[in-house]
Amino acid sequence: MALCLLIVHIVHSRSPSGLSVALLSKAQKLRLVKVMSKHIPHAALLGIQVVGIDGEELSLKLPYQEALVGDPDAGTLHGGVLTVLLDQTLGMSTVCSDRVNPAVTPTLDLRIDHLGVAPPGMDIFACARVYKSTRKILFVEGFAYCESRDKPIAKAIGSWVRVADVDLAWLLDTAQTGAQQ
Amino acid sequence: MTLVDILQQQPSADTLQLWLRKVPYAAFLGIKAELRDGEILFILPEDKKLVGNSSLPALHGGVVGAFMEQAAAFHLIAKMRKPALPKIINFSLDYLRPARLCATYAQCTLTRQGRLIANVTITAWQEDRAQPNAIARTHFLLPETD
Repeated sequence: MALCLLIVHIVHSRSPSGLSVALLSKAQKLRLVKVMSKHIPHAALLGIQVVGIDGEELSLKLPYQEALVGDPDAGTLHGGVLTVLLDQTLGMSTVCSDRVNPAVTPTLDLRIDHLGVAPPGMDIFACARVYKSTRKILFVEGFAYCESRDKPIAKAIGSWVRVADVDLAWLLDTAQTGAQQ
Repeated sequence: MTLVDILQQQPSADTLQLWLRKVPYAAFLGIKAELRDGEILFILPEDKKLVGNSSLPALHGGVVGAFMEQAAAFHLIAKMRKPALPKIINFSLDYLRPARLCATYAQCTLTRQGRLIANVTITAWQEDRAQPNAIARTHFLLPETD
């Protein structure tokens, strides 16, 4: 999912071969994530917000909404809502890695363990980070919680494929422009 | 009527619609179901609000997963002797190709139903069933009454 929005540009940009990893500042990562969010209409529709970035870890928040309930008798959110939030968080965390430059990275697979149920009426937070990267694959882990990050309601693990590098200078310029809009 | 009451009705084309309408998130996604040769075909109609990548455009991968998870749960419930909401334990999803902005279909197989656990596999496709967009596998914890 992450950075697929740049696919049109990638066709015209050269792969920056031999380019060393450029460490992005927290502010640059935040700008990137916010610009990317604008191109993901469904996440915006659900009201998914960026909470913050701590090192390589990205945190997002999904506000509780009755439309997202899975068990109407209990008022609890649908398990699939966690799939959306975790796919979003793990996918976007790929641009927060300090080990590899941002790339066009479609999702290869995603596995979610449901450890508990989100209590009715509570917002859900999700955190994720790339824990291992190779030349072509990013291995990402994350979790979701309501009250405390020590009590996760779901854990997720997945892999994202680096199909093309992106021109980092162009990307940051776009993020800068996007942030000013 | 509660969802559990509605689930007691014999699965048919009409009751499947009732089930789907009773689950707010399934209604929000617009999921529909039909009976085809005795098996349930789940349908996620084309809807711009489900787009996760506006430049392709492609459906949000998480939405495709959520659709498949809902399909698995109702496929399992339809096969229960005493229908009740199963609890999802885990969900494992392989993305095979991006889901374009068009109708998506899903069919499930109840691979194993034990006393405690059910294993359901799901295939989702768009134009051609032989070229699935995603496959998934999920485990449910069964209610003790079934």
